[in-house]
Amino acid sequence: MTEAQTASVYSRRSALQLMIAGAAGLAGSNLLGQPALAGAAPAKPTGRVIVGLGQEPTVFNPLMAHIEVDDGVHFSVFDALFRIDPQGVIQPNLAVEVPNQKNGGISEDGLKWRIRLRDDAHWHDGKPFSAEDVKFTLELIMNPNFRSWRTAGHALVRDITVVSPTEISWRMEEAFAPYLSFLTETFIVPKHILEKEANPNNAAFNQAPVGTGPFKWGQRVAGDHLELVANTEYFGEGPHIERLVFKYIPDLTVLYTQFKSGDVDLVGQPYITPDHYGEAKSLPNRVVTLVPKTSFESFYLNLERPQFKELAVREALYAAIDKDSIIQGLYYGVPTPTETFMPRQSFYFNANLPMHEFNLNRAGQILDKAGWAPGADGIRAKNGVRLSFANSTTSGDPLREQVQQFLQQTFAQLGIEMKISNLPAAVMWGEFWMQSQFDSVIVGSSYLIGADPDVTNRLHSRSIGAKGGRGSNNAQYANPEVDALLDKGARTFDSESRRAIYQRIQELVRRDLPFLPLYQVNVVQGTKKGISGVVPNGNTRTESWNALAWYWAS
Amino acid sequence: MTLIAANLAPSRWWQSRAVSRFTRHHLALAGIAMITLLVLACVVGPYALPYDSLHIDLRARFAPPLSGQHYFGTDPLGRDLAARLLMAGRVSLLVGFSAMLLSTLIGTLVGVTAGYRGGWVGAALMRTVDGFLSYPSIFLVLALAAVLRPSPAMITVIIAFTSWMETARIVEAEVRSLREREFVQAARMVGLSRRHIMFREILPNAMGPIIVAASLAVARAILLEAYISFLGYGIQPPLPSWGNMLNGAQQYLASAPWLAIIPGAAITIAVTSFNFIGDGLRDALDVRDDHI
Amino acid sequence: MPRFLLNRFSQSIVLLVIVSIIGFTVLNLMPGGPLAQFGLDPGMTQKDIERLSEQLGLNRPLWIQYLDWAWRLIQGDWGHSYRDGSSVLTVIGRHLLATLLLMGTSTALAIAIGSWIGIRGATHRYSLFDYCATVGAMVALSVPTFWFGLIGIYIFTLKLGWVPAGNMYAIGDGSVLDYLHHLILPSLVLSLVHVAIWSRYMRTATLDALTQDFVKTARAKGVSERRILLKHVVGNALLPMITLAGVQLPSLLTGALVTETVFTWPGMGRLFLDSLGYSDYPVVMGLLIFSAILVVLGNLIADIVVAVVDPRIRLS
Repeated sequence: MTEAQTASVYSRRSALQLMIAGAAGLAGSNLLGQPALAGAAPAKPTGRVIVGLGQEPTVFNPLMAHIEVDDGVHFSVFDALFRIDPQGVIQPNLAVEVPNQKNGGISEDGLKWRIRLRDDAHWHDGKPFSAEDVKFTLELIMNPNFRSWRTAGHALVRDITVVSPTEISWRMEEAFAPYLSFLTETFIVPKHILEKEANPNNAAFNQAPVGTGPFKWGQRVAGDHLELVANTEYFGEGPHIERLVFKYIPDLTVLYTQFKSGDVDLVGQPYITPDHYGEAKSLPNRVVTLVPKTSFESFYLNLERPQFKELAVREALYAAIDKDSIIQGLYYGVPTPTETFMPRQSFYFNANLPMHEFNLNRAGQILDKAGWAPGADGIRAKNGVRLSFANSTTSGDPLREQVQQFLQQTFAQLGIEMKISNLPAAVMWGEFWMQSQFDSVIVGSSYLIGADPDVTNRLHSRSIGAKGGRGSNNAQYANPEVDALLDKGARTFDSESRRAIYQRIQELVRRDLPFLPLYQVNVVQGTKKGISGVVPNGNTRTESWNALAWYWAS
Repeated sequence: MTLIAANLAPSRWWQSRAVSRFTRHHLALAGIAMITLLVLACVVGPYALPYDSLHIDLRARFAPPLSGQHYFGTDPLGRDLAARLLMAGRVSLLVGFSAMLLSTLIGTLVGVTAGYRGGWVGAALMRTVDGFLSYPSIFLVLALAAVLRPSPAMITVIIAFTSWMETARIVEAEVRSLREREFVQAARMVGLSRRHIMFREILPNAMGPIIVAASLAVARAILLEAYISFLGYGIQPPLPSWGNMLNGAQQYLASAPWLAIIPGAAITIAVTSFNFIGDGLRDALDVRDDHI
Repeated sequence: MPRFLLNRFSQSIVLLVIVSIIGFTVLNLMPGGPLAQFGLDPGMTQKDIERLSEQLGLNRPLWIQYLDWAWRLIQGDWGHSYRDGSSVLTVIGRHLLATLLLMGTSTALAIAIGSWIGIRGATHRYSLFDYCATVGAMVALSVPTFWFGLIGIYIFTLKLGWVPAGNMYAIGDGSVLDYLHHLILPSLVLSLVHVAIWSRYMRTATLDALTQDFVKTARAKGVSERRILLKHVVGNALLPMITLAGVQLPSLLTGALVTETVFTWPGMGRLFLDSLGYSDYPVVMGLLIFSAILVVLGNLIADIVVAVVDPRIRLS
């Protein structure tokens, strides 16, 4: 199944967004094994690029549980069966073509998958890549003793058969359309190295990974940086740089300073902070662009709290948020306001949702009409429930803290009391989050995996952790119509039909406001002038998803 | 009984000799003056300033010092920095002072007991002190702050619990050597009770280091609160403290350095004053100078 | 003497046990945990989190987890990091050198400069030098180290460009000169506080020693002032210095932590913060035990030396 012909269906707004984001890079189409622009890239890999990161990559086995910042290394050292390009189109990588119901790669009922693989890929130690490695990878993920990352989707795979070294097939327990997207983030690991390990969790491989990717493992100085070297035998077009270095700089101000001074060539996660955007744009010899990501920021509510059960309260709260001041004032205009969880660059984005309007009077009227009258202490109350709640976010995040304090003041004008109670990240996202112990949270997260619109994990009523469910629907949102649509969407392979389904879901969610959407995240990506081939991709979690295409021009 | 001690230590140390020595110590006087001014400013100042410390005004963000009526400028949310600084001063000073009281009390009790009793009691106590000293205080703070949800009172307790060891160590060492002095031997021979000896004979002689340690403890407590809040685990916004003001200022160092300079300077002034006072006290209470 | 050592040794073991139990309990009481970092991952479900929790052994009762950890530790297995799977000792070892480099340099600077200032101040009491040294020391002690580091970066890196903005060495370089270039600002910033501490204690200790009877006797006997200084004053000042040095050891983690944070120095302090942030319990416990051992050793050595030098204490 491909998502071709998407460009024509994009709205003008999202097309503009893409242009802003990737004007420079889109020219170079040296991606994913396609021919490069003639004469632009050097014949032999030369030069070095230093990527600055605010968190340290520590997990180098791509199948083990890891966080976003580890992705940069995985994308460089390993390959997956498929890749996803900036337009959201799935491209073949280790596979020869993308299977769908038209070319027979996926059967009509969606259950039988057959994938043909490249025959010219090799592991960094010289051994050839084959379907055995794919089978090994998929089985390792489901190994109960292995600390694997995501098992959703992989858990449905049965009867993996190696038809030949270049062909593999399996059967799915149930039709699951998002699996193709999942496979773009499932990197293949070598069977001949890992099968010898008694305990794959502690294998030496995890400290010196061997993949098929454009870069080989070089060396690592823990706590400081790690270095990858070019794989000159790579089957694709590239790499064009000899050394790729990931440098760890935990302080964001220092990261930006090193970008200014040239010690860092490319600013990776968590990118340049919005308050430096203005200055960064005007730096000589630097290219600074805004890149839309799939994550968005929201004022997330716990719907089981008595204050939030009424739709009127949620609507009033939403109308009391001065989004414009927050985005323009506190965030320097960097993010884009949004009404939904779907990123605007997505094929499934619903552009026709009702627009937010900041109107304190209207908010007050909604509350008055719903019976929330100010009490003796000035705080509105109804049936003994005071409109007072706590709001939490990760402590140490100055911008979010500013947003909190700003909102606290605005809400106070309406007779709504918001208390601020922040926690360190390791505490915040544990049980407090997963078991819905919060009142409200300001959180930025992505609902999508790759570019697949399936958001069952976040919005389905059986995904409520606090009620024994298996997902991250921490708002405890339960809407039977949305549930049914989600179930249907996961089983549908045709993109046009899926589009209708997910747009309807967005409408319902916007109406019910289980969370108050604030804005979609745009990150400020900075590179040194002279690096070509850097293409932003909002569908991946890392800025280094195509390091094989980078090179120093001239 | 206290006659023997009288020759070696002025038992009524608040009398003229020490005080006159203190007043000759110019730095200590300067310290007292600075702290008095600071406390006055923090208590009275917020009422005298034109702006409220909590009022957010996004149109007036990052105003440099001396813009209009914002004498110290404004912070990233447009709040008047002077007002916030003085409100924060109340919190930081109060936390610092209370933490000192608590930690000095605990530390002195432990130190005197351990130093005098010796033996396995002393050893057990000092091993406990060592145990707590081997904890990076930041660890205890972090873990406790996460479990207990930080409030100014909780922060005070946490700081005190991680600072009493220094005092205990100093006191224990002092008491341990004092224990061998003649006047103590004499008191024991005469049959005075252990508690009497500990707290009526030895402690007054050890007061010097204790008081010095106390003034240092305030200084350290203020610094610790600053560091904890700077890391984000201490006083939570919107309640201001000098430490959490620095937290927000770090990333604006290049564009709005006054946000970092001013709270840092305030901390330095407060802590310096306590250090000056401590040094003055140390000189004023210098016991052995008395009988040359 | 051997009985004294045996006593201390057994007391130290008890200390280590207490430290580890308290640490373990507080760590695990902390809500959240090593899996919180996946809380926002759109692809991970509650099932994945539970599975990982099971695989990491986090579901077992606390006392079983503790005993398991302690039993392995006794056998020399400090455990493996939850993040990258390397053995805890390896992880600590990687960062140990960086911290030792930083702390060693600043301590050496601090003792040398501080002692000189302190002794000079005591012998020339109330002189201009003493006055400036006292004021300077107290201001230095009052400045928050992280603030001082930030100002230092602001002046010397942002405005003057004399020194780099952090890290231990430039990638691709690594020469001794490069290391020094990166080391100078952080170690100076860190040493500032310690210069003040050492100068103050040296001054106090020298003053104390100078007023002792035996010094008066020596003076009366006509011994040169310089000899008095060296033999009696410094000799007697040695005791509090050793005690002080023992007390200072935990700052190998705490004090360096501040500087390492501001200067992105890849040392144990940063390792500690990072591991705590990720709830990487094995590494955190390893660092706690490591620091406890360091402190115990330091205090033990200090006490032995003090006991050797001061017969009164040894006999009690």
